[in-house]
Amino acid sequence: MIAAFHPQRWPLAVRAPLVVALLMIGIAAAISKVVLDRLARDQAQSFRQLTGAYLDGLSTALHSPVIRQEPWEAFDVLDRARHKYSGVNPRIVLVILPNETVLAALDPATYPVGLKAPEKARADRGEPDLGDPGGHVWVHRTLREGGKEIGRIAAEIDISKIQQVRQETFWTLLGVNGALTLLFAGLGWFVVHRTLRPLLRLSTYLARAGDGRLEPIPESKLPPPDTEAGKVYRRYNAAALAVSEREALLHRLADQERRALLGRYASAIAHEVNNPLGGLFNAVRMIQRYGDDPERRDRAATLLERGLTGIRNIVRASLVVWRGETDHQTLTTGDIEDLRFLVESEALRRDLTLEWLNELGTESSIAAQPFRQMALNLALNACAASPPGGRVCFSVRSDRDQTVLHISDEGPGLPADSRAMLLAAGATSANDANGGLGLWIVARIVSDQRATISIEGPPGTAITIRIPHAQPDLRTAA
Amino acid sequence: MLSAKARPKDASRRHILAGGLATAALKFPTIVRAARPVLFGLTPVFLDSDIQLIADLERYLSRHIGRPVQLVKRRTYQEITSLLVANQLDAAWICGFPFVQNREHLRLVAVPLYRRAPLYRAYIVTRAGRESESIHSLRGDIHAFSDPDSNSGFLATRSLLAGLRESASTFFARTFFTFGHRNVIRAVASGLAHSGSVDGYVWDVMREIEPALVLGTRIQHISDPMGFPPVAAARGVDPVLRSAIAAALISMPDDPNGRAILSMLRLDGFVAGESSLFDSIAEHWKRVQELG
Repeated sequence: MIAAFHPQRWPLAVRAPLVVALLMIGIAAAISKVVLDRLARDQAQSFRQLTGAYLDGLSTALHSPVIRQEPWEAFDVLDRARHKYSGVNPRIVLVILPNETVLAALDPATYPVGLKAPEKARADRGEPDLGDPGGHVWVHRTLREGGKEIGRIAAEIDISKIQQVRQETFWTLLGVNGALTLLFAGLGWFVVHRTLRPLLRLSTYLARAGDGRLEPIPESKLPPPDTEAGKVYRRYNAAALAVSEREALLHRLADQERRALLGRYASAIAHEVNNPLGGLFNAVRMIQRYGDDPERRDRAATLLERGLTGIRNIVRASLVVWRGETDHQTLTTGDIEDLRFLVESEALRRDLTLEWLNELGTESSIAAQPFRQMALNLALNACAASPPGGRVCFSVRSDRDQTVLHISDEGPGLPADSRAMLLAAGATSANDANGGLGLWIVARIVSDQRATISIEGPPGTAITIRIPHAQPDLRTAA
Repeated sequence: MLSAKARPKDASRRHILAGGLATAALKFPTIVRAARPVLFGLTPVFLDSDIQLIADLERYLSRHIGRPVQLVKRRTYQEITSLLVANQLDAAWICGFPFVQNREHLRLVAVPLYRRAPLYRAYIVTRAGRESESIHSLRGDIHAFSDPDSNSGFLATRSLLAGLRESASTFFARTFFTFGHRNVIRAVASGLAHSGSVDGYVWDVMREIEPALVLGTRIQHISDPMGFPPVAAARGVDPVLRSAIAAALISMPDDPNGRAILSMLRLDGFVAGESSLFDSIAEHWKRVQELG
């Protein structure tokens, strides 16, 4: 759940604008800090200059009144200077004598002559802090005569306008940068979304390939060929065409394999049919010659029936196996028994002992045709791999959940590449079959039927395939 | 404007100087008379805004005296009085107090008519809104005086305190001089001083001209009428010049320019006046001197 929210899983159309927005926020923050720092320095310098000029003017004019300790003249100086320094907004101005009493104040009603100077006006706290939350700072100027302090000026300056400018600048920066960030993020989303649109469309087509359909993109939806997207789309279409042709080729190869298999077993069937033919002809001749003898006639008829029954069984089994690709019937016990005739024939021909166990229950719901092809391929391979006189075991069992096919032989064991191809369960291509197309087809069927396969040996080879019953569709692989 | 009105008193002092200069001119008739203007002193209450008034007064006096007149301003009453007594001025508009102090050296030229009488009053003012019922409630104040040579701005209050067997230094916690009646009003209105001594004529006119400032003060005490600050000349000044100056001042209401000047000064005119007008001021001075 948490992993789903990991940024790596976010769409690129979201991540790219987000990155742009984060970059913009970072840049805006850096620019804002530079601007505000510069503004603070400029304001501090301007404040120093203004208050310096103000205090210089006052100290010059106050020098004589302070020496003579004339309250009126000192007040007159402060009062006349009140409106002459528009850049300075003094709230309190005090002329303080060395004994820390007020000689004059801009507001004498609050700070009368002779009052002890307030504590806040006493100490020169150095460089004023223009960020003072109170909105005012104190500035001081000592008045000297002959190197001796004769008094000082202490002024509380209203810096609310300076702070207001800072605030306004801050909010302006925030607003402008915020708007720019949103704008660029929106543009980023738009551009990235527009840029990624061909890629997203291609991604949709590739996603369908996962379902086994690699459809070419219609010509009407192809971007111009001289664009990057146009080139990519055309490469995709070329790849889709190649895959489609390869699939067709594989189908043809599989069909050829089936036909080759058919040829092999046609000869086996001919052999099987040919064997009883001699007996049948003997029986016919026996009837022709001794037809009046009921005992010999019955024996010849029995021989005829047995031979024809064998031929019928072989023919029926062949018909069942090569019935056609449109067979979608569910696997039955009879299907397994039909296989038996074919395999027995091969086992007999190779002088093998065939152990056959058919325990297919009624629960099995898997398709008959792919199972038969898979089982026949594996059984014939087992026969082919077994040495003369060897033993081949074939068993089919089923329960409520699965059908299990087990085939073992006493051969030298599966070659490594064949084993790998089977275990890859269809992930390899037919090119990897190295002539063993039958096993490749088995692997494809195992994959299509979501079955699992396990291989044991050497010595010998024991292959177990478990086919789950909950299969909505058992498609034929070849 | 207010200051301008206060200054006419000091101007009398300058007349004395003008007289001295006139005498000198008689001894060196042609050259001096032709080269030297009549020097007319004014006390320093004038403001820069009164430059127009000074120019108009200079022009009026020059035309009516028949000689160029130069108005002379100084920072303190004492400076003008000293110049007048030292014959550095022909005439001056001075305060009644320096006139009384230097009566033997000065000749009265003219006295302004304020509200149809050559009289005015001294006010003691406090800050508006202050609860004070009598002069006693001002004890311990920081008190603003106008000028050490001002009758209404210093002597009258000291005389009042002398009547209470008090001096300014014992009655008030602290005193200072502002060297101008307008400054006294500013000092009290701003709170720099708790109370102040001011020329009643100046306060009345300022209330009309600068009500915002004057309404920051309140009259606590009004003195008895006293002789209005006169125009005086030094005893040595040529009587012809002194008479010419007096005539020019007294005939002011008959001249459009003179009436304009009087209007600016809020005065009704000038009269010859009698030295006895200033006897009450002399009494105040005597009372203060007796207290020591």
